[in-house]
Amino acid sequence: MMMLDSIDKLLSHIQEVQLDVIELSGESLMKMSGFMQKNGLEIDDDISTALQYQDIITQQLTATIEAIESMKKSIEMFSHAYKSDEGLAQQSIVKLQEKLQITLQDAKDKKSRFSGKFDAAHADDAIEFF
Amino acid sequence: MPLVIFIDDSETALASTKMVTDSMPIEVKQYTQAQTALAEIKAGLTPDLIITDLNMPVMNGFEFLKALRGVASTSRTPTLMLTTETKPEMKQQGKALGLTGWIVKPFQPAQLKSAISRVLRLPA
Repeated sequence: MMMLDSIDKLLSHIQEVQLDVIELSGESLMKMSGFMQKNGLEIDDDISTALQYQDIITQQLTATIEAIESMKKSIEMFSHAYKSDEGLAQQSIVKLQEKLQITLQDAKDKKSRFSGKFDAAHADDAIEFF
Repeated sequence: MPLVIFIDDSETALASTKMVTDSMPIEVKQYTQAQTALAEIKAGLTPDLIITDLNMPVMNGFEFLKALRGVASTSRTPTLMLTTETKPEMKQQGKALGLTGWIVKPFQPAQLKSAISRVLRLPA
């Protein structure tokens, strides 16, 4: 059980680092756009793409933060069941494995969905009018 | 000048669209929360074009669009989705809700200008 506590703390640490990265990358690009506007510089394709990549970075990291939160909850439920009745441990570990698989699949789905044109499969997508 | 509103929870995305649209003959208002934009629309704001992100906390782009269509003054206002979302099923859902079009990030500045000009019928 101590191992699960360590995993939980490690996951919390990863979440904190990801939140810091989101904040820092956002601040970094806001400073860049502020500099451009202050100096009357016109945005070109590369700078526009760089600014928008920050949004993709944020969404990707947010999706993994959500996946970690889901993992932490599943581990917590397992720990609770294990502590209350060791006989249930085997059943609980099967449920834990199933929940982690669902979390993994959901996270992979979001990685694909939130990649925008960064994902090569959509590199040729133009604006689509309905 | 026509009023275009942008809704995106990402400040860098809004900064990017602002720099692109600064040279266009349009008035721009930006919001980081869809619910704030909706409240102003219900209070009388009448945009000529709405460009919104999809994945946002509290109220996402689809929820905003549904609410928007329920307000008489914006029941037919052209609306573009500007998003990292690429799933065809999501585009279909947007189309069914009356979206005008779908733009996948990252967009090229010329593409966004062209889309706005096309919807607002601005002179080339």
